[in-house]
Amino acid sequence: MSRIVVLDNEAVQALQNPAHPKHRRVVSLAQVVASRKRRAATVEVAVPTAVRVEAGWDRTSPEWVFPNRLRIADVPLDAVRASTAAAIRHRTEVSVADAHLGAVIQSTSAGQQITVVTSDLGDMRLVAGDRDITVVAI
Amino acid sequence: MWYSLVVEPPVVIERISELLDRDGLQTSNTSMRIPTALRDAAALAVRELGVAASATALTTAALRATLEAVVMQAALDAHYEQHPQARPDLGDLAVAAAELDGHPLAVEPERLRRAAVEIVAKHPDASPDDVLLWAEARALSAA
Repeated sequence: MSRIVVLDNEAVQALQNPAHPKHRRVVSLAQVVASRKRRAATVEVAVPTAVRVEAGWDRTSPEWVFPNRLRIADVPLDAVRASTAAAIRHRTEVSVADAHLGAVIQSTSAGQQITVVTSDLGDMRLVAGDRDITVVAI
Repeated sequence: MWYSLVVEPPVVIERISELLDRDGLQTSNTSMRIPTALRDAAALAVRELGVAASATALTTAALRATLEAVVMQAALDAHYEQHPQARPDLGDLAVAAAELDGHPLAVEPERLRRAAVEIVAKHPDASPDDVLLWAEARALSAA
């Protein structure tokens, strides 16, 4: 069984900034993913590109070198996810970034387990719709 | 192997990462010698269990996952060296492992931290999953 770990804005901010109060907590999650990958578990970390915009994560900036090196995949806001995100935003009034995150959750294949690392548990439950997700509240 | 003679380790890691980012459309034949039994096991797993589209796809996925783990760990190790306070202890990792999986003990981080302290006294190389198992066993015996 494979797992995708999706980061929200605050998780990204915490990962980037060693002075952030939740930095060590998010690094712990990254460390567990790295160890599991080493043991051949199918697990990947991903960030919706709209979340990256909201967090200010510029992959060309030296300020983001640490998150850049952690093999965190971008999930783009393509045409299909844009429509899903628009519907989520219309229904829930969440931010564009959270709507994109919801679209990522809803576009994940049925057999894949989903963990969302977030500071906003309620919004994640809203945008996930009927998908079963594991929420790590930071 | 030739990299180790001419390139600094951080540059090697960057280069590996860049290569992993490239699309996989361009392919190369390779004369890699692998144990025959491993080759046969992979072929059987593909044919009978459908674990991948082909033995080549299975090998490629495993190789990619291993290289991604190497790159991630190198980045984390460099980060810990620069920011020692960011290095998680076994308790932190056990909590993180439980949270990622939605394990029932994720809501009892202090129990997991106590289990980490207990287990590391006897098994210094214990993993976060060992801690989870130990904490689960303790919870069951206490129930």
